Amino acid sequence: MREVKMENTHPRDPKKTYGLMELVKGTKPTVGLKPDKMVFTWPHVLIREMIIFVSVSALLLVAAFFIDAPLEAIANANLPPNPAKAPWYFLGLQELVSYSALVGGVVIPGLIVTVLILVPYLDRKKVGIGIWFAKERALANSLFMLFLVVMLILIIVGTFFRGPNWDFVVPWEAVKGH
Amino acid sequence: MDLKISAVKTYLNDVFRSIFRYGKMPRDAEGQSFAVFNNLFLHIHPVKVTRHSLKPTYTFGLGLISAVLFLVLIFTGVWLMFYYIPTVDEAYNRMLDLRSSTNFGFVLRNVHKWAAEAMVVFVILHMARVFFTGAYKPPREFNWVVGVFLLLLTFGLSFTGYLLPWDQLAFWAITVGTSIAGYVPVMGEDIRSFLLGGDIVGQEALIRFYVLHVVILPGLMLVLLGVHFWRIRKDGGLAHPSENEDASAGGGE
Repeated sequence: MREVKMENTHPRDPKKTYGLMELVKGTKPTVGLKPDKMVFTWPHVLIREMIIFVSVSALLLVAAFFIDAPLEAIANANLPPNPAKAPWYFLGLQELVSYSALVGGVVIPGLIVTVLILVPYLDRKKVGIGIWFAKERALANSLFMLFLVVMLILIIVGTFFRGPNWDFVVPWEAVKGH
Repeated sequence: MDLKISAVKTYLNDVFRSIFRYGKMPRDAEGQSFAVFNNLFLHIHPVKVTRHSLKPTYTFGLGLISAVLFLVLIFTGVWLMFYYIPTVDEAYNRMLDLRSSTNFGFVLRNVHKWAAEAMVVFVILHMARVFFTGAYKPPREFNWVVGVFLLLLTFGLSFTGYLLPWDQLAFWAITVGTSIAGYVPVMGEDIRSFLLGGDIVGQEALIRFYVLHVVILPGLMLVLLGVHFWRIRKDGGLAHPSENEDASAGGGE
């Protein structure tokens, strides 16, 4: 920003009660704005997007070279494994289903999805926006954290602590038994 | 001679400008604005964003990482389609071929597999981030709802893809997974046989899961992702502390 000599371009008229206050050299209209909190997408956002794109791709390639995706024997409807397990993210549900098929497999997942969809229409007070774990949102955040932790525990139990006939097993014991 | 070289340069520059109208590296505000909103692929972004939204510890890039994983999955997924045959007789053999006789076939399949697992994780983490930062509050309610459906689509894509290798893991995971649908009162069995195209996981189930996995669900995902990104921009960028009722108390940049 550089000041231009106003006297030359806009001489003051003594009859007027108002006058041009300042001329500023700049590239954007900044009238009435607080100090600029915005940055241009080009290049600030785009460069970050490129960095994430490249690093995610690179990490995947490295992982793919060293860790093989599982592949078991060809599918055989006559050879059921015991226990047969769903993909890991459904093992929390499978764990619930082992207690009650209707409640665990239908009612609870239905409720979870319904409540998730309704969240922004139930909790509308404009506090704690854009701030991690804001004090004003302690209750909402605690409830959601509890939900995540319970799901995580169920998935861990379903993945590591369930053996034949969905009986409780301790993973390190199961390894010894082999 | 000099004249000719400069004529060629001018000509090439004209060609370049016909594609990218605002030059290679815009350095002024006008050029940087035009670079974004005159480009079909970039204009999903706003021209400017808050510094707050760029703080790595605000978003951890979780949504962006999910989107990148989805792009990787489309790329590797289409590539895999050149090798894969969705029949009970051929599917498993094709997995073995990818391991042994296709150049870097194992890398291709592994990238697809690990990107898929990572996507489930990062979409959930992204949802947690949005919740814990209160970013679903008005005016962003509907974008949260779109996000819930994107999460369900992610599960759907992962689950349908799980069957395609046609190994024991795939067969029994889908058998167990779809049996849960059978627990729905009254119409449970109908839903299950609609998904599987029969009573058990067989050829009909394989082709249904395949079409869902490579056409229907990715198509829905692309449309909803477009809406999701578009709404970020239309709802005023990422959630910012200045939107709070007592904004003067809210910190941040």
